[in-house]
Amino acid sequence: MQNTIKVERAIKNMTQADLAEKIGVSRQTINAIETNKYVPSTILALKMAKLFGKKVEEIFTLEKGD
Amino acid sequence: MRSKLLLPSKFKWIGLCLFIPFLVLGILNRYNDFQLDFLTIVREHNNILNPVQNLTDELSLTGSIISLLMIAFAKEKHEDEFIYHSRLESWEWAVLINFILLLLACWIFYNEAFIDVMMYNLLTPLIIFIIRFNWVLIRNKRSEEKN
Repeated sequence: MQNTIKVERAIKNMTQADLAEKIGVSRQTINAIETNKYVPSTILALKMAKLFGKKVEEIFTLEKGD
Repeated sequence: MRSKLLLPSKFKWIGLCLFIPFLVLGILNRYNDFQLDFLTIVREHNNILNPVQNLTDELSLTGSIISLLMIAFAKEKHEDEFIYHSRLESWEWAVLINFILLLLACWIFYNEAFIDVMMYNLLTPLIIFIIRFNWVLIRNKRSEEKN
Protein backbone atom coordinates (compact mmCIF):
# COMPACT_ATOMS: atom_id res chain seq x y z
CA MET A 1 0.00 0.00 0.00
CA GLN A 2 1.25 3.43 -0.91
CA ASN A 3 0.48 6.66 0.85
CA THR A 4 0.86 10.39 0.32
CA ILE A 5 1.28 11.37 3.96
CA LYS A 6 4.59 13.08 3.35
CA VAL A 7 2.99 15.26 0.66
CA GLU A 8 -0.05 15.99 2.78
CA ARG A 9 2.21 16.96 5.63
CA ALA A 10 4.14 19.32 3.41
CA ILE A 11 0.91 20.95 2.23
CA LYS A 12 -0.15 21.53 5.83
CA ASN A 13 3.42 22.48 6.73
CA MET A 14 3.62 19.88 9.49
CA THR A 15 6.60 17.93 10.78
CA GLN A 16 6.41 14.20 11.58
CA ALA A 17 6.35 15.19 15.24
CA ASP A 18 3.40 17.59 14.74
CA LEU A 19 1.38 14.93 12.97
CA ALA A 20 2.31 12.31 15.56
CA GLU A 21 1.16 14.52 18.40
CA LYS A 22 -2.13 15.40 16.70
CA ILE A 23 -3.17 11.77 16.20
CA GLY A 24 -1.67 10.46 19.42
CA VAL A 25 1.12 8.18 18.20
CA SER A 26 4.92 8.34 18.35
CA ARG A 27 7.03 10.00 15.65
CA GLN A 28 8.52 6.57 14.96
CA THR A 29 5.11 5.34 13.88
CA ILE A 30 4.61 8.19 11.40
CA ASN A 31 8.06 7.54 10.02
CA ALA A 32 7.40 3.81 9.68
CA ILE A 33 4.15 4.52 7.83
CA GLU A 34 5.75 7.08 5.48
CA THR A 35 8.57 4.72 4.60
CA ASN A 36 6.06 1.91 3.96
CA LYS A 37 7.42 -0.23 6.77
CA TYR A 38 4.12 -0.30 8.57
CA VAL A 39 0.50 -0.31 7.41
CA PRO A 40 -1.57 1.70 9.90
CA SER A 41 -4.80 0.48 11.44
CA THR A 42 -8.11 1.71 10.01
CA ILE A 43 -8.52 3.94 13.06
CA LEU A 44 -5.21 5.67 12.43
CA ALA A 45 -5.87 5.99 8.70
CA LEU A 46 -9.26 7.60 9.41
CA LYS A 47 -7.73 9.98 11.93
CA MET A 48 -5.09 11.10 9.41
CA ALA A 49 -7.65 11.54 6.64
CA LYS A 50 -9.82 13.63 8.94
CA LEU A 51 -6.87 15.79 9.91
CA PHE A 52 -5.85 16.40 6.28
CA GLY A 53 -9.50 16.95 5.25
CA LYS A 54 -9.39 14.22 2.62
CA LYS A 55 -10.88 10.80 2.01
CA VAL A 56 -8.85 7.79 3.17
CA GLU A 57 -8.53 6.48 -0.39
CA GLU A 58 -7.04 9.79 -1.53
CA ILE A 59 -4.18 9.28 0.92
CA PHE A 60 -3.79 5.49 0.84
CA THR A 61 -3.81 3.54 -2.41
CA LEU A 62 -3.44 -0.15 -3.08
CA GLU A 63 -0.43 -1.44 -4.97
CA LYS A 64 -0.14 -4.45 -7.26
CA GLY A 65 -0.02 -7.57 -5.16
CA ASP A 66 -1.93 -6.10 -2.20
CA MET B 1 0.60 -6.93 23.17
CA ARG B 2 -1.96 -5.57 25.57
CA SER B 3 -0.37 -3.01 27.79
CA LYS B 4 -1.96 -4.80 30.78
CA LEU B 5 0.77 -7.39 30.48
CA LEU B 6 3.54 -4.83 30.31
CA LEU B 7 5.64 -3.29 33.05
CA PRO B 8 6.48 0.42 33.44
CA SER B 9 9.31 1.52 31.13
CA LYS B 10 11.88 1.93 33.92
CA PHE B 11 11.96 -1.87 34.28
CA LYS B 12 14.02 -2.01 31.09
CA TRP B 13 16.97 -0.45 32.92
CA ILE B 14 16.32 -2.23 36.22
CA GLY B 15 16.31 -5.51 34.30
CA LEU B 16 19.51 -4.67 32.48
CA CYS B 17 21.29 -3.71 35.72
CA LEU B 18 20.19 -6.99 37.32
CA PHE B 19 20.86 -9.24 34.34
CA ILE B 20 24.60 -8.55 34.07
CA PRO B 21 25.53 -9.58 37.65
CA PHE B 22 23.27 -12.64 37.52
CA LEU B 23 24.77 -13.69 34.19
CA VAL B 24 28.32 -13.25 35.50
CA LEU B 25 27.39 -15.24 38.61
CA GLY B 26 25.95 -18.00 36.43
CA ILE B 27 29.02 -18.18 34.20
CA LEU B 28 31.41 -18.20 37.17
CA ASN B 29 29.33 -20.92 38.80
CA ARG B 30 29.17 -23.07 35.69
CA TYR B 31 32.79 -22.80 34.54
CA ASN B 32 34.77 -21.92 37.69
CA ASP B 33 32.66 -23.77 40.28
CA PHE B 34 32.16 -20.52 42.12
CA GLN B 35 29.60 -20.82 44.92
CA LEU B 36 28.10 -18.40 47.39
CA ASP B 37 28.59 -20.16 50.74
CA PHE B 38 25.50 -18.74 52.40
CA LEU B 39 23.39 -20.48 49.76
CA THR B 40 24.42 -23.94 50.90
CA ILE B 41 21.56 -25.89 52.44
CA VAL B 42 21.78 -29.11 54.41
CA ARG B 43 18.90 -31.58 54.43
CA GLU B 44 19.29 -33.95 57.34
CA HIS B 45 16.39 -36.33 56.90
CA ASN B 46 16.08 -36.76 53.21
CA ASN B 47 16.95 -39.89 51.30
CA ILE B 48 15.87 -38.72 47.85
CA LEU B 49 17.56 -35.36 47.38
CA ASN B 50 21.23 -34.63 47.78
CA PRO B 51 21.77 -33.91 51.50
CA VAL B 52 24.02 -30.93 50.85
CA GLN B 53 23.15 -28.55 48.05
CA ASN B 54 24.30 -25.13 46.99
CA LEU B 55 21.71 -22.85 45.43
CA THR B 56 24.06 -20.51 43.51
CA ASP B 57 23.06 -21.98 40.13
CA GLU B 58 19.35 -21.79 40.99
CA LEU B 59 19.75 -18.18 42.06
CA SER B 60 21.69 -17.12 38.97
CA LEU B 61 19.26 -18.79 36.57
CA THR B 62 16.19 -17.42 38.35
CA GLY B 63 17.72 -13.94 38.47
CA SER B 64 18.73 -14.05 34.79
CA ILE B 65 15.26 -15.15 33.68
CA ILE B 66 13.43 -12.59 35.82
CA SER B 67 15.69 -9.73 34.74
CA LEU B 68 15.34 -10.67 31.05
CA LEU B 69 11.56 -10.84 31.50
CA MET B 70 11.70 -7.33 32.97
CA ILE B 71 13.59 -6.03 29.91
CA ALA B 72 11.35 -7.86 27.43
CA PHE B 73 8.08 -6.82 29.06
CA ALA B 74 8.93 -3.18 29.82
CA LYS B 75 6.75 -0.62 28.06
CA GLU B 76 8.25 1.76 25.56
CA LYS B 77 7.95 5.43 26.46
CA HIS B 78 5.26 5.91 23.84
CA GLU B 79 3.30 2.70 23.36
CA ASP B 80 1.23 2.73 20.20
CA GLU B 81 0.09 0.36 17.48
CA PHE B 82 3.40 0.32 15.61
CA ILE B 83 5.30 -0.65 18.78
CA TYR B 84 2.63 -3.26 19.47
CA HIS B 85 3.01 -4.63 15.97
CA SER B 86 6.83 -4.67 16.18
CA ARG B 87 6.65 -6.43 19.53
CA LEU B 88 4.45 -9.25 18.26
CA GLU B 89 6.55 -9.63 15.15
CA SER B 90 9.70 -9.83 17.27
CA TRP B 91 8.21 -12.63 19.39
CA GLU B 92 7.48 -14.51 16.20
CA TRP B 93 11.09 -14.10 15.11
CA ALA B 94 12.41 -15.07 18.52
CA VAL B 95 10.50 -18.36 18.61
CA LEU B 96 11.47 -19.25 15.07
CA ILE B 97 15.19 -18.44 15.41
CA ASN B 98 15.31 -20.13 18.79
CA PHE B 99 14.04 -23.41 17.36
CA ILE B 100 16.34 -23.20 14.33
CA LEU B 101 19.31 -22.79 16.70
CA LEU B 102 18.01 -25.64 18.84
CA LEU B 103 17.68 -27.93 15.82
CA LEU B 104 21.22 -27.11 14.73
CA ALA B 105 22.54 -27.62 18.26
CA CYS B 106 20.75 -30.97 18.44
CA TRP B 107 22.95 -32.24 15.60
CA ILE B 108 26.17 -30.47 16.54
CA PHE B 109 26.52 -30.89 20.31
CA TYR B 110 26.63 -34.06 22.37
CA ASN B 111 26.76 -35.12 26.03
CA GLU B 112 27.95 -32.48 28.46
CA ALA B 113 28.06 -29.76 25.78
CA PHE B 114 24.39 -30.34 25.00
CA ILE B 115 23.48 -29.65 28.63
CA ASP B 116 25.18 -26.27 28.24
CA VAL B 117 23.16 -25.66 25.08
CA MET B 118 19.94 -26.51 26.90
CA MET B 119 20.87 -24.08 29.67
CA TYR B 120 21.50 -21.25 27.23
CA ASN B 121 18.33 -22.23 25.45
CA LEU B 122 16.37 -21.28 28.56
CA LEU B 123 17.42 -17.68 27.96
CA THR B 124 17.71 -17.43 24.18
CA PRO B 125 14.01 -16.79 23.32
CA LEU B 126 14.05 -13.73 25.57
CA ILE B 127 17.48 -12.56 24.37
CA ILE B 128 16.60 -12.94 20.67
CA PHE B 129 13.32 -11.09 21.25
CA ILE B 130 15.05 -8.21 23.06
CA ILE B 131 17.71 -7.87 20.33
CA ARG B 132 15.26 -8.03 17.44
CA PHE B 133 12.69 -5.66 19.02
CA ASN B 134 15.28 -3.04 19.91
CA TRP B 135 16.93 -3.40 16.53
CA VAL B 136 13.61 -2.59 14.82
CA LEU B 137 13.20 0.50 16.98
CA ILE B 138 16.79 1.66 16.41
CA ARG B 139 16.57 1.07 12.65
CA ASN B 140 13.38 3.07 12.51
CA LYS B 141 14.87 5.86 14.56
CA ARG B 142 17.84 6.09 12.19
CA SER B 143 15.63 6.38 9.12
CA GLU B 144 13.61 8.99 11.03
CA GLU B 145 16.71 11.10 11.47
CA LYS B 146 17.46 10.85 7.75
CA ASN B 147 13.99 12.09 6.77
